Amino acid sequence: MGTLISIEQSAFAEWVRVSAVGYPLMITSHAIGMGVMVGLTLAFCVRLLGWSQEISYSALNRFWGIAWAGFGLNFVSGTALFTTQATSYVESVPFLLKLALIFVGVVTAALLQAAVTRDADGWGSSAPAGIRALALVSIASWTCAVVSGRLIAYY
Amino acid sequence: MTSVAAWIESTSLSQFIINRSWTWPTLESLHFLGLCVLIGAVLIMDLRLIGFQREIPLRAVHKLMPFALLGFTVNLLTGVMFVFGEPQLYLDNPAFRIKMSLIVLAGLNFVLYYYKVDPLLTRLGPDSPPPPLAKGVGAASLLFWFGVLAYGRLLPYFG
Repeated sequence: MGTLISIEQSAFAEWVRVSAVGYPLMITSHAIGMGVMVGLTLAFCVRLLGWSQEISYSALNRFWGIAWAGFGLNFVSGTALFTTQATSYVESVPFLLKLALIFVGVVTAALLQAAVTRDADGWGSSAPAGIRALALVSIASWTCAVVSGRLIAYY
Repeated sequence: MTSVAAWIESTSLSQFIINRSWTWPTLESLHFLGLCVLIGAVLIMDLRLIGFQREIPLRAVHKLMPFALLGFTVNLLTGVMFVFGEPQLYLDNPAFRIKMSLIVLAGLNFVLYYYKVDPLLTRLGPDSPPPPLAKGVGAASLLFWFGVLAYGRLLPYFG
């Protein structure tokens, strides 16, 4: 708890909290990164589930660089937002749930990306059942992560 | 705008949204999910239009259009309910006005794409470099939609 208090009392946290630019900048970056990472991951998963099969797996795979850039933006802006209320965030159920869901989302996205890079040439028009199940898990965890992130402000 | 706000507040829809604790977080969650679906589809379609990943057939990229429309429709409906729930926050808010203007610009840009760029691309055939107009329309679309996203999120700080 001592560490969290010192994070919360740091000059950086103070800047994010009270300056005219800090909080709006971080919260807007967080929304942009979310749109990019979650949006592209959803599109990618929907393709793996069989939609728009004219888009080759390898072509879609190259959008991952952009998706991870969105995730990086959210890691940085999310950390900055965390510093402003570190002590209450660690006790917030929706926040902890959100972190767990993002962990699942990141792992499933990385697994899907690796599987597509390695195996997609042999898949034909529709991905194997295991991959489709993983895509569904990824869709569910990112969707719930967005919702639980929204609920942090309420509970 | 005050009379419009007063009328909105008198409607039963407005009362419904204000008087329940679950409506606002539910609408916000749906609005954020709609945003993700819209931005993901728009990002892929526009980057392809600009010339990124040219091996993807344009017709295939068009299959993402229903997702963009789905995301937009969800956000239009939930967005209207935000305005009904708290008209005072939105109607006089400069960020809200900029956001609405950017949505109109994105719509006009789409009309330009549909009537000018799409026929042009159909004639060109696959794998040919995109004409400047296509690149411009794609870049403008990205600019408008990310602007919509940013001004939407900044809205409470302008109120």
